[in-house]
Amino acid sequence: MEAQRVDMFIMTNGKYFKSYQLNAIRDRLIALEDSRWAMISTVQLKDPAISLVISILVGHFGVDRMIIGDVGLGIVKLLTCGGMGVWTVVDWFSIMGLTRQKNMEQIQPYLY
Amino acid sequence: MTRNKLYIFLSVACVIGFLWLSVAYFQRSSEVGESSVCLFKQLTNFPCPSCGSTRSVIALLKGDFLEVLRWNPLGLILLALLIIAPFWILVDIRWKKSTLFDFYNQSEAFLKRPWIAGSAILLVVLNWIWTIYKGI
Repeated sequence: MEAQRVDMFIMTNGKYFKSYQLNAIRDRLIALEDSRWAMISTVQLKDPAISLVISILVGHFGVDRMIIGDVGLGIVKLLTCGGMGVWTVVDWFSIMGLTRQKNMEQIQPYLY
Repeated sequence: MTRNKLYIFLSVACVIGFLWLSVAYFQRSSEVGESSVCLFKQLTNFPCPSCGSTRSVIALLKGDFLEVLRWNPLGLILLALLIIAPFWILVDIRWKKSTLFDFYNQSEAFLKRPWIAGSAILLVVLNWIWTIYKGI
């Protein structure tokens, strides 16, 4: 794909991925055919800032885990009072990174 | 989530669960419920959806089935998980299979269906309202 279009994509979607993954994503996108663009642009990415807000407000009930796709873990978190409160606090700090990881897993199949 | 990560996570959760249960089991009954570890309950004074499940599981272990409803029916699910998960993990490790992991993925896909997810959320919320009404 054209470098300009790829750079535009990186600029608008950079916040959804971990910074060290951006270079790899850019290289893969440039190597891709133009016809794959439609697929890439329809991938639904989750905003790390939104999941942080959800985690702080209702993370105790496992909602943050369910939103990013870990439904099973979300239910375990709900059933255990947020891991007796410990898991709740741990997730406040780790949920943004987890969301970025999940976004990477989302876009991975389209890159190859 | 890979197979090994899930198994390690579930084993650690089960160990903590059993430790917690044994601590709660040998506490004097008058003390149970006075010291809450629930973050939500300590912050807001309202019980969270799964508050009371420890007392519910202990009532179940003592064979008092009506007490389970008095505390929290979710305790039934928790006790079932605590009993089934360790055996399933051991069987999977022994015969180098991943049946529990496959089951986990299948049930995750099942729960993501809008109808199932909606009714599950409704049940949890209704149970929560009941819990608040009972004043656990």
